[in-house]
Amino acid sequence: MFRVAGIGILFAALCLPLVWQGAAAQGVNPYAGQPRAVLAGGALFRAQCATCHGADGKGILSIDAPDLSLMWARDGVNDEYVFSVVRDGIPGSIMPPHGLRETELWMLVAFMATLAEGGGDAEFSGDAGNGRRLFAANCSECHRAGAEAGGVLGPVLTGVTRRRSPEALMQSIREPSGRIERGFRPVTVETGAGEAVTGVLKNEDAFSLQLVTEDQDLRAFGRDAVRQVARLGESLMPVFGEADLDDDELADLLAFLHGSQ
Amino acid sequence: MRNAGRLLSCLMLPLAMPLFAQQDGPAYEDILRGFDDPERWLTYSGDYSGRRHSPLMQITPENVGALRPIWTFQTGTTTRGRGFEATPLVDDGVLYVTGSNNYAWAIDARSGRAFWSYRRDLPDDLTYGASAPVNRGFGMLGNKLFMVTLDAHLLSMDRRTGDILWDVQLADYRIGYAATLAPLVIDDKVIVGISGGEYATRGFIDAYAPVTGERLWRFNTIPGPGEPGSETWPDDPEVLARGGGGTWMNGSYDPELNLIYWGVGNPNPDYFGDSRPGDNLYSNSIVALDADRGDLRWHYQFTPHDINDWDSNHVPVLVDAEWRSEPRKLVMMANRNGFFYVLDRTDGELLLGEPFTGTTWAREIGPDGRPVILNDGSQGCLPDPWGSTNFMPPSYHPELELFYVTARETCATYVPEEPAYTPGQATFGGVVFIEPDGSGALRALDIHTGELRWEFTYPSPTFGGVTTTASGLVFAGDHEGNFIAFDAATGENLWHYQTGSRIWGAAATTFMLDGRQHVLIPSGTTLTAFALPE
Repeated sequence: MFRVAGIGILFAALCLPLVWQGAAAQGVNPYAGQPRAVLAGGALFRAQCATCHGADGKGILSIDAPDLSLMWARDGVNDEYVFSVVRDGIPGSIMPPHGLRETELWMLVAFMATLAEGGGDAEFSGDAGNGRRLFAANCSECHRAGAEAGGVLGPVLTGVTRRRSPEALMQSIREPSGRIERGFRPVTVETGAGEAVTGVLKNEDAFSLQLVTEDQDLRAFGRDAVRQVARLGESLMPVFGEADLDDDELADLLAFLHGSQ
Repeated sequence: MRNAGRLLSCLMLPLAMPLFAQQDGPAYEDILRGFDDPERWLTYSGDYSGRRHSPLMQITPENVGALRPIWTFQTGTTTRGRGFEATPLVDDGVLYVTGSNNYAWAIDARSGRAFWSYRRDLPDDLTYGASAPVNRGFGMLGNKLFMVTLDAHLLSMDRRTGDILWDVQLADYRIGYAATLAPLVIDDKVIVGISGGEYATRGFIDAYAPVTGERLWRFNTIPGPGEPGSETWPDDPEVLARGGGGTWMNGSYDPELNLIYWGVGNPNPDYFGDSRPGDNLYSNSIVALDADRGDLRWHYQFTPHDINDWDSNHVPVLVDAEWRSEPRKLVMMANRNGFFYVLDRTDGELLLGEPFTGTTWAREIGPDGRPVILNDGSQGCLPDPWGSTNFMPPSYHPELELFYVTARETCATYVPEEPAYTPGQATFGGVVFIEPDGSGALRALDIHTGELRWEFTYPSPTFGGVTTTASGLVFAGDHEGNFIAFDAATGENLWHYQTGSRIWGAAATTFMLDGRQHVLIPSGTTLTAFALPE
């Protein structure tokens, strides 16, 4: 991999420095999407970034290093912004500046763009109007999207297509238990008084648990009043098979979510 | 007239002495006495032994439930997560504290209000030694404070004003060096170590003259060509010169033996070992150095040829105890590699090496003192690069003969990759995939067997340090922000307080003031003082 990185850097140095100056002024990555630059940027990422942000860029929770695959969906985050954060660091924080050459920085940014889990250029050709109706009928009990009223048990889905690929979203609908993000993991808390409360675990420490309950309210428990915490393998979200929502209806749903703001 | 005035001043001086007498601050003899003066805490661990065990008795297992915060100090710094890792020094009702980004303060211990604050003007191209912009505290002697900096300098300050008295460079920060530890002050020397093992650097332990800042000796943790230990490296001066071996955590000191004990960090590159075949001394070792000259007296290497970034930068804990029916001078260390070690501190003889976490790396230490490795990473996950414990101070309770350590249970897969050696750029030499769901625990280990006496589990891998008191209490911190008290003998949880931010690397300080026992804990950007109700 090191050799590949070397070739990539050499290639960049020989062929592309002339493009960069004009491009930088516009904040455009001259190497965006170029396979060799992405390879070279990947080597730099593994050497300079992976220790904190993880080899897959998904962050390491125990050291508070953020998930870089999600940042691209945030307003104002573009190649130029990422370039400047990597170069300058975040003063006063753990994120240090990186004394890389500009070509290397842009190649790193080109690689980091490939970490984005969002839909990228995916097209959403479904019927958003029908998707909205389907959302109201099937999803809004637990989710919100855009201006639609909805529940708070599941994550907000406004603009989710910018954070997750269509394939990943369809997978989540067909197999909700396949991947349950932290903050939405289901638990049943049995209290010493014999009460059993099911919900999603928002936070916990050695002394307390914080839940959003199935009936969508906030509820906290001191562990001294808890007899047992059962961590459930199955998501609280029902499985939506072909019979519930066919592939065309899923496409409509994604088109609606893609347009939600 | 002016002359007459001067004459008058001179004549009055002896009479005025009590009013204007200069306070000289603590002397070396005061630091030597350790915890004898209950109103002082004069060095990082409270005394030179590294035991972090206070003799105070006012707060007990019976009354700790009534412990209350009495003030909170806010640093005004912005570091996220890792913020406040320092141990405040305490003398005459004043706290001397360092913070992240090389802030520092003198604080009134009664009110939490600052006398002065200091902020170093740092360059904007720091590497932090691949760590974080943290600092673990001052060293102190007389009216001088000593502090290391993120740009790898050692400063001396006037404790009354925060004014800089001298400023010497330890190493060049631009190639990856940084400094974060609390200097160890012994008599006429200020001992410091350095960060930078994630870069193409070479670690060292230095001694400086407290008055002038003159360097008195340097021990290089990676030998030079032809020097003892170099046979454990390739015969290549370049490899030795970038061999790593940081010394970024505080050492301990035995005044009778006049030996300094210090942990040494990982070899460089961290994960890629093919370019450095051999044991790579003195990486991942404890070294015992003659305090006067810095000569190596003995060493023991915990992790030969480390490829997992398991630095041995831990506080060595010095204990005199009966060992197999004989009185012995011991040094103990719970290591990032998952083993708890007891050594004879006069000669480095290994007496005990037992696992304290569920690591699959090795299950035993062989008769030759080397680990019997069962899993080099090909048999499943290993402890992550932050290790089975880390730099957070452990503690030792002499009456119970228990060693208290914050343990981390993690699962990581290492993928080595040869790095490019570019000055100022980290050379980890690969990547690590870490399973997201680890856990932590405070564990009490029997020092004679390494057996677990009790534990208290935390929901995530934790970096909080530990302090014990003679009244039978353990104070610990967790990754969720709780400052917690336990019964030292049984592990029963007696009290906790949510500080609002992770307790990361810090351990409690305790001292008497106005007849009340105070307990301090840094967390995030706050320092909070606790005491029993008046």
